[in-house]
Amino acid sequence: MADIPAPPTAPTPAPAASDEFILNVGPQHPATHGVLKVVVTMDGEVVKDIVPHIGYVHRGLEKLFENRTWEQIIPFTDRTDYLSAIANNFAYVMAVERLLGLQVPRKVEYIRVIMAELNRIASHLLWLAAYGLDMGAFTPFLYAFRDREEIGSMIESASGGRLTTNYFRIGGFVHDLPPDFFPRLRAFVGHFGRKVDEYDTLLIENAIFVARTRGVGAIDRDLAMSCGMSGPCLRACNAPRDVRKDTPYSLYPRLEFDIPVGRHGDTWDRSKVRIEEMRQSLRILRQAMDGYPEGDFKVRVPRNIEPPAGEVYVAVEGPRGEVGFFLVSDGSRKPYRVKMRTPSFSNFSALPDILRGGKIADLVAVMGSLDLVVPEMDR
Amino acid sequence: MTAEQLTDALRARFPDLSVRPVDTAPSATVEPATLHGHMRFLRDELAFDMLEAVYRLFCSEARASLMVRVVLPRRAARVPTVSDIFRTAEWHEREAAEMFGIEFEGHPDPRRLLLPDDLEGHPLLKDFTHPNLRRLPETA
Repeated sequence: MADIPAPPTAPTPAPAASDEFILNVGPQHPATHGVLKVVVTMDGEVVKDIVPHIGYVHRGLEKLFENRTWEQIIPFTDRTDYLSAIANNFAYVMAVERLLGLQVPRKVEYIRVIMAELNRIASHLLWLAAYGLDMGAFTPFLYAFRDREEIGSMIESASGGRLTTNYFRIGGFVHDLPPDFFPRLRAFVGHFGRKVDEYDTLLIENAIFVARTRGVGAIDRDLAMSCGMSGPCLRACNAPRDVRKDTPYSLYPRLEFDIPVGRHGDTWDRSKVRIEEMRQSLRILRQAMDGYPEGDFKVRVPRNIEPPAGEVYVAVEGPRGEVGFFLVSDGSRKPYRVKMRTPSFSNFSALPDILRGGKIADLVAVMGSLDLVVPEMDR
Repeated sequence: MTAEQLTDALRARFPDLSVRPVDTAPSATVEPATLHGHMRFLRDELAFDMLEAVYRLFCSEARASLMVRVVLPRRAARVPTVSDIFRTAEWHEREAAEMFGIEFEGHPDPRRLLLPDDLEGHPLLKDFTHPNLRRLPETA
């Protein structure tokens, strides 16, 4: 009989003190909303340390980009953060246009802003639905999905896709908006404000929800900034940082909207900020509908795009925070280097600081409130 | 503080430093040995408080950004970590380490971040080879 070799052993974690124990959460766990793992060292129910592990859905997108032409990359950006495909399209397309020195027609800017804000609302609605489930509230899920359905249909009528839309092109769009788009948008904007108020009272101001989230998972403003947090997670810490205001792009300098901020940087503030952002998105949508100009939905660009050698960093404010593309062109049809700056990556890296010293029961509340999208972290 | 004033402040403090505008943000090229000093100055005295990737800093007070570039030799790509100054660099450096083979000296947690433990080589280097990685045919 041949010897059976011993199976390879996994590296063992450092031995824990006698009253400490280690709990693995993930990679397959409903609270991770995707495939990631956190290794929690606990003393009783107190979290002493927490080590996040990511990379389970790493597809090497930045390497794949180097093997694609500039136009071929657009659908890949949809598949990083699939809940904000339009924000990713927006950042990438704008970065390439900056490299090319290309100006797009006014109408293109209007459609982009309308799409981006609809996408922000849809993303926040999905967060609301999933977070309600995390907290044990099932009803908000059904309500939020009902409204998200309307946005999905509107986006589908324009792009043909509901989630991974692949709608943006360098210089404009693949199609113009369909004729029935604005009546539908007007109807949606007309009634959605009341729905947001409803969600606010139904979930966010609900006594049980407040008890589970108020004062839980707070992070200090300076630490949040040092960790590179952005989006609603950073604004909850009373830091009014928003790419739309800080480095204004597209139509945003001409639109009126506020940057909602929280006061304590805790889980409840992160939730409240997202609700308030939906109201601000509605304000933006109303202004964009009123000022919507006539014109072309794209500008003619060469079939084969070869941006001049150079580099550029362009960011937009996505639903989760700053989505940035750092592009390096060597003048050829394919990029030399593409670096994606994704908000969930930096937001999640702050998890140990947020949770250390807290209770294990708060882990789900905190992770849900960060609104993580795992493929965006792993790329 | 505007982007020009930032550039002037940098030049006044480090006269030998090369600072040039790239796109809308100024860009400074530094030596590995002096990176730590530059980063500390940028945080403490010029109030840069956000950072990402290969040292893109953002000053939220001035709403201005700066690219800091370190030129490293390919064979001995070694640079001190800045994660003790900007926390967000911790994960970005882990990623850069596995993707490009850069060693960040003094990094608190130099494990791999995204890549599997058994992958050999550094995938984002241009000469990386893998059986599944092929050049796509050119389209017309």
